[in-house]
Amino acid sequence: MKAKSMIKILALTYGLIGILPIFVSDSSIMMRILTMILIWSVVASCWDLIMGYAGIFSFGQVAFYVIGAYSSAILSVSWNVPPIIAVFMAGIITAIIGVLVGLPCLKLAGPYIALVTFAFQLALEPFLKGPLGKAIGSGGSRGIISVPPIEIFGYSFSSSELVPFFYLAFIMTLICSAIIVVILKSHWGTAFLALKDSEDFAASLGVSAFKYKLLVFGITSFITGLFGALYVHYVGILSTRMLSMEVFTVLLIMIVVGGIGQYPGVVLGAMVTVTMNELLRPMGIYRLLIMGGMVVVVVLLLPDGVTGLIRKFTAPKFRRKTGAGSLR
Amino acid sequence: MFVEIIDVIISGLLNGSVYALMAIGLALVYGVTKAFNFAYGSFYTMGGYFAWVFLVPLNLPGGYYTVFLTAIPFLFVVGFFLEKFLVAPLRKRSDWQMKAMMLTLGLALFLDIGYMAIFGPRLKSLPDIVEGTLDLGQLVFMKQDVVIFILSITGLLCFAWLLNNTRVGMAVKAVAQNPVGAQIVGIPKDRVFAATFAISTIMVGIGGILLSQKNFVNPQASTGIMIKAWVITAFGGMGSIRGSLYAALIIGMLEAFVGYYLGMIHIDIAVLTVLLITLAFRPQGLMGRE
Amino acid sequence: MKKFGLMSLVVAVFMVLGSWAIAADTIKVGCAFSLTGDYAGSGDNYFKGVEMAVEEVNAAGGLLGKQLEVVMFDNQDFAPEVVMQGADFLMDQKKVAVVVAGWAGAGADVRAYGKYDAPFFLDDGSQASVDVYKEDPEKYYNAYFMTPVAADQGSSVFNVLQKLPYDYPNKKVVLINTDDAWGGEIGAVMAKRFEEIGWEVALHEVVPYGTNEWGPILTKIRRIKPAVIHFEIAASQEPITFVRQFLKKPTNTIISLGWSITPLEVVATLGKKADGVMGDMPAGVPVPKAPNAEAQAWLDKYKKRYNHDLGVGSFVTYTSFMAWAEAAKAAGDAYDFKAVNKHLKSVPYKGLMGDITWGENNTLHPQPGAPMVHYQVQNGELVTLFTAPPVTPYKDNKFIKPQWIK
Repeated sequence: MKAKSMIKILALTYGLIGILPIFVSDSSIMMRILTMILIWSVVASCWDLIMGYAGIFSFGQVAFYVIGAYSSAILSVSWNVPPIIAVFMAGIITAIIGVLVGLPCLKLAGPYIALVTFAFQLALEPFLKGPLGKAIGSGGSRGIISVPPIEIFGYSFSSSELVPFFYLAFIMTLICSAIIVVILKSHWGTAFLALKDSEDFAASLGVSAFKYKLLVFGITSFITGLFGALYVHYVGILSTRMLSMEVFTVLLIMIVVGGIGQYPGVVLGAMVTVTMNELLRPMGIYRLLIMGGMVVVVVLLLPDGVTGLIRKFTAPKFRRKTGAGSLR
Repeated sequence: MFVEIIDVIISGLLNGSVYALMAIGLALVYGVTKAFNFAYGSFYTMGGYFAWVFLVPLNLPGGYYTVFLTAIPFLFVVGFFLEKFLVAPLRKRSDWQMKAMMLTLGLALFLDIGYMAIFGPRLKSLPDIVEGTLDLGQLVFMKQDVVIFILSITGLLCFAWLLNNTRVGMAVKAVAQNPVGAQIVGIPKDRVFAATFAISTIMVGIGGILLSQKNFVNPQASTGIMIKAWVITAFGGMGSIRGSLYAALIIGMLEAFVGYYLGMIHIDIAVLTVLLITLAFRPQGLMGRE
Repeated sequence: MKKFGLMSLVVAVFMVLGSWAIAADTIKVGCAFSLTGDYAGSGDNYFKGVEMAVEEVNAAGGLLGKQLEVVMFDNQDFAPEVVMQGADFLMDQKKVAVVVAGWAGAGADVRAYGKYDAPFFLDDGSQASVDVYKEDPEKYYNAYFMTPVAADQGSSVFNVLQKLPYDYPNKKVVLINTDDAWGGEIGAVMAKRFEEIGWEVALHEVVPYGTNEWGPILTKIRRIKPAVIHFEIAASQEPITFVRQFLKKPTNTIISLGWSITPLEVVATLGKKADGVMGDMPAGVPVPKAPNAEAQAWLDKYKKRYNHDLGVGSFVTYTSFMAWAEAAKAAGDAYDFKAVNKHLKSVPYKGLMGDITWGENNTLHPQPGAPMVHYQVQNGELVTLFTAPPVTPYKDNKFIKPQWIK
């Protein structure tokens, strides 16, 4: 996809989400859903960047998200760091851990990376609940029950003031999305694609797989950690329950629905998935049944998710403008 | 003290034999088709529910004999069509391995929640294959465990025989070693892929029946089983059947000894640590090929 | 522009979401239970209590002349943002008059629902949520804890174990609990109480959920030969496999399963093999014979309606719901939350087994109207030995020495 159409779709989507609060600001549940769409869309975008573009089967996204949340919570509760600073420190901590997890992964093949990164998520829960976790202030199995809200110039963004927090998340989302677009459209993005298509060939051209893959681990973990931190100051409470399979599955559904490696499709995917999740909620247990079935159907019938669908409808126009030569 | 160590070793052996039965199917599928089947654990649960439906509400004559005789063709058909209709169409696409992973993850969610929707969230208990204990002085076994051990080993031997002595088995091995070459010599690759899925589904489904009569049919069990099988196959070398066998026994023993000496809470961390260290030195697992 | 077509579809979907109309002729009551995920079994039991209460109220002509309508929310695995959404969905969007929740999120729930005024009944049993309540009891005045915290329950079990007409062969106890807040709190308080009276905690094992293979622990237990094992895992698979494997080669030990005796599958599956095993249910009905005709009639009705024994949580959600219904009736308006809450707190509700009152920290502490029930399995059935507090022998039921003790 060309940078121009990428930005166009992003602007449309986020523009729409950005003006919706004007109409629904008095419905707190709508505001919560919109806020979660923003948070999940960025976290899922990072996952798409790492899986869809860099071609690394990382399953550690939820773990990075939770590490960001715990780092910021521990910094602000045990060390009295102001939340706004703690959020960025959490991003950096997560990035460092992301690189450390990335290092051993780079030698491994597909399903192994998935396993190692997922094993990382599995090990996180006993770690946080155990004596080591307690020593760093994780609160053990009970968690951290009072995380202060973010404050900027004495104004606090808590979960009781939904509209201000929404716009704080909105600005962060725009900044992070811009970073993602820049990465994808820069030399780095081209390198990712080259590496994915043929690592050997790319290496022969002097593209270092090691460097780029480590970079992508670092950047996506930074952004994910940042949003995990944002989330924890929003909800104000944290326990290892965040590491549930449900979060993992829903994030994955966003990517599948949006189209793997079809950024900004995943943003649309996040919108559709969160909305569906809420619409289906009255159906109780059948909600997840439908979501699971949907993944199967979408992967089979819509290889590029809704992005593919949109492209199909708008195909003549796109083709005229870009020829057959959109990158993918 | 001596008796206690024997006790722990036996516990490890019992675990290991069951793990082997469950992990080998996953290793086989990855080795042959290069697709990673995340719905694998859900077929474990499927086996359990299959047995429950036959034994409890239907109460068919013949008990477990009927169950095993009907479960094998049933699971074969399920696995065969899973590959044919869901995985095979992906194979021609770009990123097909990733898409297969996602599809099977979605399928796992669909099946697991489906079980819950049909059978409810509660455990179902199966009648014991055998009751009572086997008393050898200091050592006491549950007969159930003995039967599970014997049947697991029998299952593994059957599988080895199938792979080495039948046309299907040799075709499977040929495709695993060299898919293009196998096709050139006229082995119907697509059918071998489907058959591989079918065989793996049988193995895990039978494992599900055997273990569910000890640990109950639980709609939530799939994820845990999936992760265990995944860890074992990765440890042994994905796609290496012999590697998975050794890995299953090593992990079974490791769990028993860590549980005994360090405490049950440390089992998972110990297993994951051993896995990570192994992968750091041998990225392809114990016996995997590069 | 098909692209805008999709957008407008999304907008339309949002509009529908935001504008679910509120029907005026019913009183909506909210249920926030776990319908999917690991805790779905408990959600099922909690709901049955509410369901029975709602059916009874509706059959008797409704509340204040209006029929009750249940609105469900799936709390899943209690991730904080899901719990918060649930509070907003039920309280703000659906405008329910009351919310009954089971295990609902260890503190996040108190905060999320405490913003509103409609009564909110929860059953966390963990210190974390009581601590959140204590942060601002005035703000969270509408949160009602249906069971005491784990530590109180652990103490009650300890007291019962001390009162058993049985001579312990030694002073060694083995404690087994899960790594969650609930299990940890029970394990800690039991260890403390036993050490206070000079017992030795020979083994305190923390196990993860999903443990089915007890070989290593049992090997240790067979060496220790403790007088008591207390086992606290809020699930059903683990206690069943533990007892089965223990019985393979038992030691002379009293087995107390704590809360783990209450999932219906445990006694149903183990049957007579479990004869002698102890356990308890916070806020339950003594079985097999209830203390009075009213409670007995209710038990019979429950069994007939659902075709199984009393599930843990059903009685407490039923009683709490009925207490709310009476408070709403007394207030004359289910939506006059100030009056409803005031009535709930100040006027005891006459439950099936006697008055119930909400005590310190707005908690339904064990009391004669909703006692802590201590059971023993006898002849493949739960038999109440004691109610507490204070620990009182129940009817003529006698403790039997477990069959495996020689």
